[in-house]
Amino acid sequence: MSDTEPPEKKPKIICNLSNIYLDTIDQCIESISSSERNLQPIISDELTQPLEFINVFVGHIKNVKDISRTILILNDKIPLKELSHLKRVRRQDIILCPTKFLDNMSSIQDYIESHVTELRDVFDYFKEVNVPLLPPKVMKQYNEVRKIWSCNFHPNHYFEKLVSNHFFSVYDVKIHRKFMEVAFEIAKWYAIHDGVAFDINNILLTIVNVTVVVDPNFNRIVTIAYDYRHDHPMQHSAMLAIDNVAKTQNGGVWSTESNDGLLPGIDKELVHFLKQKFSQFIIGLKKTNWSGAKGGQKMDTDGEKGGPKSDSHEENKEKDGPYLCTGYYVYMLREPCVMCAMALVHARAKRVFFCFNNSVCGALNSVAKLQTISSLNHHFEVFTGFL
Amino acid sequence: MVEFMKRALELASEALSAQEVPVGCVFTINDTIVAESRNSVNHTRNPTRHAEMNCIDSVLEHCKKNGIDHASYFRNVVVYVTVEPCIMCAAALNILNVNEVVYGCANDRFGGYTVLDVRKFYEPNYLLTGNLCADEAMALLKQFYKGANPNAPETKAKKKPS
Ligand SMILES: [Zn+2]
Ligand SMILES: [Zn+2]
Repeated sequence: MSDTEPPEKKPKIICNLSNIYLDTIDQCIESISSSERNLQPIISDELTQPLEFINVFVGHIKNVKDISRTILILNDKIPLKELSHLKRVRRQDIILCPTKFLDNMSSIQDYIESHVTELRDVFDYFKEVNVPLLPPKVMKQYNEVRKIWSCNFHPNHYFEKLVSNHFFSVYDVKIHRKFMEVAFEIAKWYAIHDGVAFDINNILLTIVNVTVVVDPNFNRIVTIAYDYRHDHPMQHSAMLAIDNVAKTQNGGVWSTESNDGLLPGIDKELVHFLKQKFSQFIIGLKKTNWSGAKGGQKMDTDGEKGGPKSDSHEENKEKDGPYLCTGYYVYMLREPCVMCAMALVHARAKRVFFCFNNSVCGALNSVAKLQTISSLNHHFEVFTGFL
Repeated sequence: MVEFMKRALELASEALSAQEVPVGCVFTINDTIVAESRNSVNHTRNPTRHAEMNCIDSVLEHCKKNGIDHASYFRNVVVYVTVEPCIMCAAALNILNVNEVVYGCANDRFGGYTVLDVRKFYEPNYLLTGNLCADEAMALLKQFYKGANPNAPETKAKKKPS
């Protein structure tokens, strides 16, 4: 007995790990599908972080009758272009200039007396106040600012929606969670059929990645891709998915086995499994599918603009055929790396959803947020918070 | 190494005649060309088929065919590309740990250095130099964007590398 035990040890460990892995996936699927919590948009720090402040000199006006005259003179003598989001006056306090403006060369009193002589007798005292350097973007910031100084603010409906905890309708949350489930089921399917190389330190990061591309207008899974980087260092799942989408548009470069052209590179058995498991979704896209059936109630694909698109609009779109990943949603297990995230920008994906952060090189939340870089020519929305 | 950049520029012109964004790229090892390609985004309907990515695939294919370990192979590669690699390609070249990247003109819309310095996310990262034959590279881009939209004002065309 003892001589048969040692060779068995190694496979046993792998077997345990893969059981842990499959259990972990099952737990993830369970929490993703049982939760109704809304998803979290990943947005620019400008909307979420506390405002930056700048120190300014403020003069207190003795007589309220002098206020309007004082404003006119100050706007002429010391214009404050970079602080134009602030009202110059708050009650009897008026902003004179940033403190750094005087650079400790003279006191504010001396400065006013020598440079703005018309106002030498207007103030009874001076003080320093910290005022916001930039205009508030959302109501929450505005309410902070208001306590300190009067400020111009025009609420932006879309920004407010982004910082709220109810970006998606209850119905849409369910669908997004269902599509993320698809990604996990694919990971599980590959783990069972092909096995996985395990990282003993973090079993979840063992999951390389899965990408599911969806046309939200028809609840159609346009393509799926499983990470192939162990064999080809560029074939991260998002890169493969983008090439698969190209194949649905008579393009593509990577030779992946085709199963009747529906989901290139994807095992027929897996397609069959997904069709059974997720019968509410249409799976695969052929050219002839462009005017295909619509799957139930449509998701709100226009974000804040809302409302379903008119049929005539859709017909026009179908005649032209799809272009890259325009209008598509992308669901991934893990935050895409810098390469994949930028590839999705090039592909003009409409929304990207992911489950786990990629702290090493994730470019939509962890090391950078490509969706907030204004010089890029395309910006998608990014959501997480499935678990 | 102007000769390699000149070759990359030839490939970029070839892209232009094929109605692709004119970017060309050459990979070298010990001053010998081991891969060369150009942008092929429109033909492949795949927006990631930049010149660099095409070169990478051809090296990977070569390595696979000849049983060469691609990881150590890429470590000796010097990349010559007519336009600063975009964020995606810059990340790819860092993932593969190439030795050095030399580019022509800057890319102020997508540049993996100008817009976001991708090297800071990777350790180790490659050596980067720009401005080799930048004018020629830019001239090709201008020609493309002029042709693509004859109504586009000159200033608009100028702002659109790769
Ligand atoms: Zn990636
Ligand atoms: Zn590129």
